[in-house]
Amino acid sequence: MGKKSFDPSVVSRRDFLKGVTLTGAAALAAPVISARAQQPPASEHAKVVPQPNIAAETQPPPNDPVNQTSSGGDFMAEVLNTLDIDYLSMNCASSFRGLHEAIINHTRNKPEILTCPHEEIAVSMAQGYAKIEGKPMAMICHGVVGLQHATMATYNSWCDRVPVYIMIGNILEADKRAPGAEWVHSAIDPAALVRDFVKWDDQPATLQHFAESAVRAYKIAMTPPMAPVLLSLDAELQENPIPDRERLRIPKLAKVVPPVGDPSAIAEAAKMLVAAENPVLICDRMSRTPAGMARFVELAETLQCAVIDQAGRMNFPSRHPLNQGARRGAVVGQADVILAIEMNDLWGVLNSFRDRIVRSSRPNFKPGTKIITLGSRDLYMKANYQDFGRFNEVDLAIAGDGEASLPTLTEQVKRLIDTNRKSAFEARGKKLAEAHHASREQAKSDATIGWDASPITTARMCAELYVQIKNEDWSLVGNGIRITWPNRLWNFDKSYRWNGGSGGAGIGYTAPASAGAALANKRHGRLSVAIQGDGDLMFVPGTLWTAAHHRIPILYVVHNNRAYHQEYMYLQAMAARHGRGITNAHIGTTLTDPNIDYATVAKGFGVYSEGPITDPKDLGAALKRAVAVVKRGEPALVDVVTDPR
Amino acid sequence: MNRLNEALIVTFALLMLGRANFAWAQTAPAGDAANGKRVYLAVGCFTCHGRSGQGGSYNGPAPALADTKLPLEAFKVFVRVGPNDMPAYPESVLSDKDTADILAFLRSLPGRRPAKDIPLLNQ
Repeated sequence: MGKKSFDPSVVSRRDFLKGVTLTGAAALAAPVISARAQQPPASEHAKVVPQPNIAAETQPPPNDPVNQTSSGGDFMAEVLNTLDIDYLSMNCASSFRGLHEAIINHTRNKPEILTCPHEEIAVSMAQGYAKIEGKPMAMICHGVVGLQHATMATYNSWCDRVPVYIMIGNILEADKRAPGAEWVHSAIDPAALVRDFVKWDDQPATLQHFAESAVRAYKIAMTPPMAPVLLSLDAELQENPIPDRERLRIPKLAKVVPPVGDPSAIAEAAKMLVAAENPVLICDRMSRTPAGMARFVELAETLQCAVIDQAGRMNFPSRHPLNQGARRGAVVGQADVILAIEMNDLWGVLNSFRDRIVRSSRPNFKPGTKIITLGSRDLYMKANYQDFGRFNEVDLAIAGDGEASLPTLTEQVKRLIDTNRKSAFEARGKKLAEAHHASREQAKSDATIGWDASPITTARMCAELYVQIKNEDWSLVGNGIRITWPNRLWNFDKSYRWNGGSGGAGIGYTAPASAGAALANKRHGRLSVAIQGDGDLMFVPGTLWTAAHHRIPILYVVHNNRAYHQEYMYLQAMAARHGRGITNAHIGTTLTDPNIDYATVAKGFGVYSEGPITDPKDLGAALKRAVAVVKRGEPALVDVVTDPR
Repeated sequence: MNRLNEALIVTFALLMLGRANFAWAQTAPAGDAANGKRVYLAVGCFTCHGRSGQGGSYNGPAPALADTKLPLEAFKVFVRVGPNDMPAYPESVLSDKDTADILAFLRSLPGRRPAKDIPLLNQ
């Protein structure tokens, strides 16, 4: 069949089979027609006894090609390989079988497929991966039922400002859908489900359209503020032969340059910071690349001012003397100028909120404090989901990428510092260093309380873990106890020591996102560790199988407090408020009776495991054995029965 | 209770806390530490303050209470008023006796140790 025979007004893509190869027998279609012609007219047919139609039963089937030499999926796979994408996470599904087959056979498993037993795992892996590797992982799922599974992780990625390259399968043409599953798995606009929390989406109608949208999607995802993007891929477009391959063109991917804040506004901010007596730097998701932390340290050291790191990324070393995170209330209260960089919830840092019957709040900063914001958040925002937080009144709002704008800001600050200011800055820095040292000593003292207790305190668990990893090139890629104890006790001194939290506080993030981050760390030879909440693991336990299957080296230390503990406390507060049932708050909030044996669960997924560990004296040795397994390139899990927090 | 009254009570409690070191000997309750432990675990104090009284977090930090020097009257104020986001427990669900027993339990807990004696904390 030649290209000229294609007329889209009379045949659909599936009917148009350029490149198909008819089997030899199938080419013999004419006898079938002859056989039909031999049948009697309908009126006569009712009157006679049916006779076997020997001709029809012994002839080959009608014209029905069974082989093809190209497919749209092949081209799609080629396009994906021009993008800087190394992995494709998925839970296999028929609506993208065309692209799936093309990737495993046409491009020889590039991007490398990661088999995930749940779509939420697939997206979360991509989220954790991107925060370590600095580029997106692709993910693909069914357009309807798969995407519904993937929504929570997509929302986490959106809130966390992480690029995830999502693709979904769909069957657009109604007359081409098979009865049953293909109907309930198809939608007119499948991306509508997540459009509130992806940055851009498209449903290409042609392969050239796909090529251009694929490159566009990558560029949009990687431009700050970064976010997930989505492409809906028609199954016909994936599966049918390519009618005009020589006319298809893959656009080149341009280097993406993040937006820098307005130079005059940055100069104004520098002037305010240099003139201030107690300037404070606050940041959250500032560091995008390994350069981010170094740039931020340079600014802080130039100013010798207090830093509060909200730990949305690895922004500032935990043991840097200017790190004042342990005394943020006092620091904010004394500030006269605050520079907030890439903050998601600045209002929450600058105000105290009371969760009482009558909810109230008060500012933590003194009247007259000047507030400057620098970040890309203002450049792109959506209305429905309220992840942008409460509006915060500020004096100067600079729209621009924080990390990219820092060199200009630091240079401006350096120009403005004279001898007098430098002397004042040094004195300020010395006081801050003393306060930091006191905070560290306080942390150690706090950690001693309940040191030998069982269940094991989270402080003891973190101290035991740190001694096993501190001489390795470690990376904490997940933390189910918030960042508190590790940040107080550990030396976070490199850009990959930490990669931030979930973003949307959606449960089921830590296990898969940590696996994704560990996959990225594997290439760099780092030891990945996750402090894994038990409730979180119960959402996505299949992650352990994916880690075992793909030989992802990661140590999961299960913080097994046998509860959804924050909810336990909330329920306790509600009961106390009503003056009733204060012994009932465990109902619906705890994971006991039976207690879950996570070590056995892990073994079932093929993961080395230890535990449950209840005696703190046993913990160090168990962790040591597990670290040895991870250093061999495999995942391991240690189940630690812990106190709540 | 309006915020002013609440603030006054908490301020009073904090003043009492400031005097605690010398007041302790005179205000020591004859509480039942064993019952106090039972109640402390049953009514959920441990959820924020830890089973060892090591402290923790709720919406914000929850202070360590092991080996507390807090006088009984001040302790009661905290329990009944609930500073910040701490739940307030009325006497109808937590009696004065149980409150005193909880305090006795907390006082029986080993408090801080010198951190320098624990090598793991000096890395």
